[in-house]
Formats: sequence, C-alpha cells, structure tokens
Amino acid sequence: MHTEHRLLQSDPWQQWQAFAAQFAKGASAPHEARGPAAASSFAPFTDVAERFATAARTYFDAANADASAPAPADAARIFTDSLREMFADFQPWNLGVGAGTGPGSVPPGFTPNSPALGATREHQQRWERIADASRRIEEAQRRLQRIGSDALREAAATFASRLGASRPPVENPEALHKLYGSWIDCAEDAYGRAAHSEPFCGALAECVNASSEWRRELQASIEHSAKLLDLPTRSEVNTLTQRVKSLEEDVRALRRVRKTRPARRKAKP
Amino acid sequence: MRATNLYAALAAAKHCAAGCSLKHAVWQSGKVKLYRYQPIARPAAAAPLLIVYALVNRPYMMDLQEDRSLIRGLLAEGLDVYLIDWGYPDGADRFTTLADYINDHVAGCVEHILKAHRLDALNVLGVCQGGVLSLCFSALYSQRVKNLITMVTPVDFHTPADLLSKWVRKIDVAAWVGDGNVSGDTLNQLFLSLMPFRLTQQKYVDLMAGSPDRARVENFMRVEQWIFDSPDQAGAAFREFVTWFYQENRLMHNRLEISGCKVDLRTLRIPILNLIGKRDHLVPPDASLALQKLVGSKDYTALELDLGHIGMYISARAQHEVPAAIAKWLAERRRK
Repeated sequence: MHTEHRLLQSDPWQQWQAFAAQFAKGASAPHEARGPAAASSFAPFTDVAERFATAARTYFDAANADASAPAPADAARIFTDSLREMFADFQPWNLGVGAGTGPGSVPPGFTPNSPALGATREHQQRWERIADASRRIEEAQRRLQRIGSDALREAAATFASRLGASRPPVENPEALHKLYGSWIDCAEDAYGRAAHSEPFCGALAECVNASSEWRRELQASIEHSAKLLDLPTRSEVNTLTQRVKSLEEDVRALRRVRKTRPARRKAKP
Repeated sequence: MRATNLYAALAAAKHCAAGCSLKHAVWQSGKVKLYRYQPIARPAAAAPLLIVYALVNRPYMMDLQEDRSLIRGLLAEGLDVYLIDWGYPDGADRFTTLADYINDHVAGCVEHILKAHRLDALNVLGVCQGGVLSLCFSALYSQRVKNLITMVTPVDFHTPADLLSKWVRKIDVAAWVGDGNVSGDTLNQLFLSLMPFRLTQQKYVDLMAGSPDRARVENFMRVEQWIFDSPDQAGAAFREFVTWFYQENRLMHNRLEISGCKVDLRTLRIPILNLIGKRDHLVPPDASLALQKLVGSKDYTALELDLGHIGMYISARAQHEVPAAIAKWLAERRRK
C-alpha cells in the first residue's frame, strides 16, 4: 500500500494508469456488484482512459526534450495518429442497421443481374432488390466512415496545434483528465461540423433509406414462407389491428353522441 | 481504493428508483395514465397545472429525486400538479396517431381534471415534444386552456443549428417506420449520435475520475436509467411527427391539420410563457423563440435560461429558477 502510494505520488502518468488498473481490479473482485459483467461494462472506458494516458505520456516525454524520444513534431504526429486510431471504429450513426448478415443475406446460388424468368421470377427480383439494398447500405456506411475519419483528422490537428501553442502542465491525473476533456472538445467540434454537412446528411439518409428497403423486401420474403406454412403474418395482424382501432373510434364517437343527446322521455304505457 | 468505492456506490445505486413525490393515478385510457401529485405546500389558489411530457422519453425526469425535481418545485409553490404518463406503446399501438394522442388522450385528461375541479379551463405545461402537443391542443381547444407554458419546445424545425432536422429531412420516413413502431433503442442511438464523444465516452471517464460520493453516483445512475429507458414510439404518430414537423415544418407555414381541423397558432390568445435553454443541443433556442411570431397572444413572455435541454429539468440552477418563474408568472396572470 505504502509503495503504491509513493508510486502514485511520483508520476502523474502512472497515477492515471494505476487508477484505471485499480478500477479493473475493483471490478473483478468477488462482490455481487463487481462481477465480470460490471468489469466488462466499464472496460471500454478504462481502455479509452488508459490508451489516452499512454499516448499523452509519449508525447509529453518527447516534447520535454527527452534525448531518447522522437522530435516534438514527430511526437505530435504520433500522438494525433494514435487518437485517430483509437476512434477509427467509432460509428455512432450506424442506427441498428443489420443488413448484409443473417437471414437477409442473399441465398446460396443467387447470381445478381441474371435474367428473371419462369416461376421463381418474383423471388429472384426480390433477392436482387435485397442485394442492391445491402450494397447501398455498405456504400453509405463507407461514405460515413470516410467523413468520420476526416473529422477525426481535423480534430487531431486542432488538438495538436492547441498542445503546441500552450503546453499545459500535466502534473497530476486531474490535469490529464482536463487534457482528455480538451481532446473531446476538439473531437466534438470537428464531428459537429461534419454532421451538419450535406455529404453526411445525404449519406445518413441513404443508409436509412436503403435499410428500410432491405427490411421491407426481407419481410415480404419471410411472409411468403409463412403463408406456405399457413402461419399468420405481420401484415394480417396489422389488418386486424387497424380494424379494431377503427371499431374503437366508432364506439367512442357513438358514446360522444349519446352524451350530448338529451335524454329521451320514457314512453307512456 | 477509489475504484472499489465507486463500484460499491454503483452497486448501491442499482436499486435506487427515480421519482420522489407522492402521486396517484386518477384516470386511465389504454396505456395512458393521468397522475395527480400530492400537495406539499399551502395551495396557491391557481387552476390545476397539467404537465404534457414528450412521447420519446419517460416523464419521471420531471421528478427524478428530491433535489432535482421540477414537479417538487412546483408543488412547493403550492401548485396542483397533474402529469400524463404515455406508458410504453407496443405492437398493438402502432396505428395510434397524433390525433389520437391529442384528441383522445390529452383531451381525456383535461376533461377529467376540469370535471373533478368544476372548472372551464386549466393551466398546461408542455415539455419538449409535449410542448408541441400542448400547442396543438391549445389551438384546437382554446377554451380549455387558461395559461400555456412551453418548455424547450421546438416550433421552427428548420433552424440552422437543428442537427436532428437536417438528418431526417431526406429520410423516407414512411419507409423507415413502415407499419411498425420505432424502437426506443434506435432513438437512443440517434440522440447519442448528436454528441457522441461526450455522451458515449467522456461522461463515463468523468464518472470514473470523479469522487465515488454516493449521492453523485445515485444521481448519475438515475439520469442514466432515464436516458436509456426510452419507450418504443407508436409508428403512425412518429411518422406524422417527423413528416409534419421536422420535414415539412407545418407549424411555421400554418399548414398543420389534426384530424381535419386546422391548427392555427394565431388563434392562441391565451397568456403564454416560453422557457428556453440557451445551451440546448436538441432544441436550439431559435427553434423555440419562433413561437412569438406565430401566436395571436398579446401576453407572451420568453424566458431564456443559461441551461441545456436536460439541465432545464434537473440542474441545480433549474431547481431554483424554473418552478419559481412558473409560479410567479401564473400568479401575475391571476391578478390581471
């Protein structure tokens, strides 16, 4: 405990990393709240914190003219590259799109763009539409990823220039935390600009629209199979739901009329 | 040591429930419930206040915990508070429209309250999307609303800072929704995508780096619960909302009809208080400020607070300022 305390006092980078490590240790301790699930739920964030600290440490070691470290310009590039890598797979805009895998994948033996002839014509055309929607989704996701990557590059460049302009004193975990906050500001600003742009909005809309088409065609295909087995389909249930809703509306309207109509006198016997 | 304490605090907070003020259900229609809150102060002699919350989130954000509760603040001002809980729509609700929400559910709640209090009109507080529903209701049933308060409510859906609007404008909403509902998970992801670095990473790193203070962790967990406890959206109403408001901006162009009846905000001549968050990333201030030019009311007050969207309900500053401002504004209208 004493040694650990001394270590924490001596090196801010070690402090940050020790904190992350301690957190992981605490998470895996035998306690109902510290099981593997709890540990894994925090793993991405401890990982982000730790990787950021390591990258920052490398940069500042170099910037402080450590003879064995790369030159400051190189150090800045390495730091910002590592930040971009850290967030390379970050795709928040992927709105639960699951096309291209699972039951939506085209069936074996399917050849796109072959002539649609004979009894399976309609099914073949449907599979073509599913394949086309999958292709459009992938293309739109690639466009989004490119825009995201450019935004990260811009964020990293801004962050590097901020670091160069005023080298902040990083003497403790709080200072490192502040530095991390500054990186998030840069990332959010760059992302915000990209997210407002026409190319991003267009690619996002294309991704959602293609996903809708993919889902619609897949649903039609599944409903076709359901009919063969005389299973109820979603479309049939929807029709019934609409009928019930319509009846409910009629009942409500009749009740309103009855409420407003003056009470009829009882006929004399 | 700090990490262990934080985990212990998180474990303890796992069972802390959101909601602190006593309430009881007084009316129900399907999954929609109307709650009345138990008074905690001397009555202010004002008409009851009905809170119409958004469909996209759960309304307990209005009463999260004792020191972060807009409702508690309103009760402390002596107001008689009612709240509509929309429930969790499921597959059977997929054809529920905005007209159903406004003409059946909001109108049903209002009728119940007016009958119970033997009144002709009440006060309405619409929050965010609930503010849009409240504006529509007030325009359609103007004789039923005495004073209208809108909070972080979008009116102009095409302002330059409105990122959500830019994103959805080219989306084929009818195809996206289809005949189904829109899942809460999809909406969560959409909202997180507005500020992804802050909302999916930084806030958790901040949680780890901060003190493992129990109250702080409990507060964090309650907000976390609220953020991700997003109900699925009734497909038809969602499609109408996105198409009519986000894509076609019908309120601004005076082209909105609900069930064949025109929603003309110029007919709104009741007093209106418009509460705006200057740092609102979901509903940019300009989107709310547009209201003034659309309504026929000569008694219009806009109150801009240096708060974000969620901060408007749960920040420490909001607790001091918002309920007091509402109560004061209502009291001034009573004296007029």
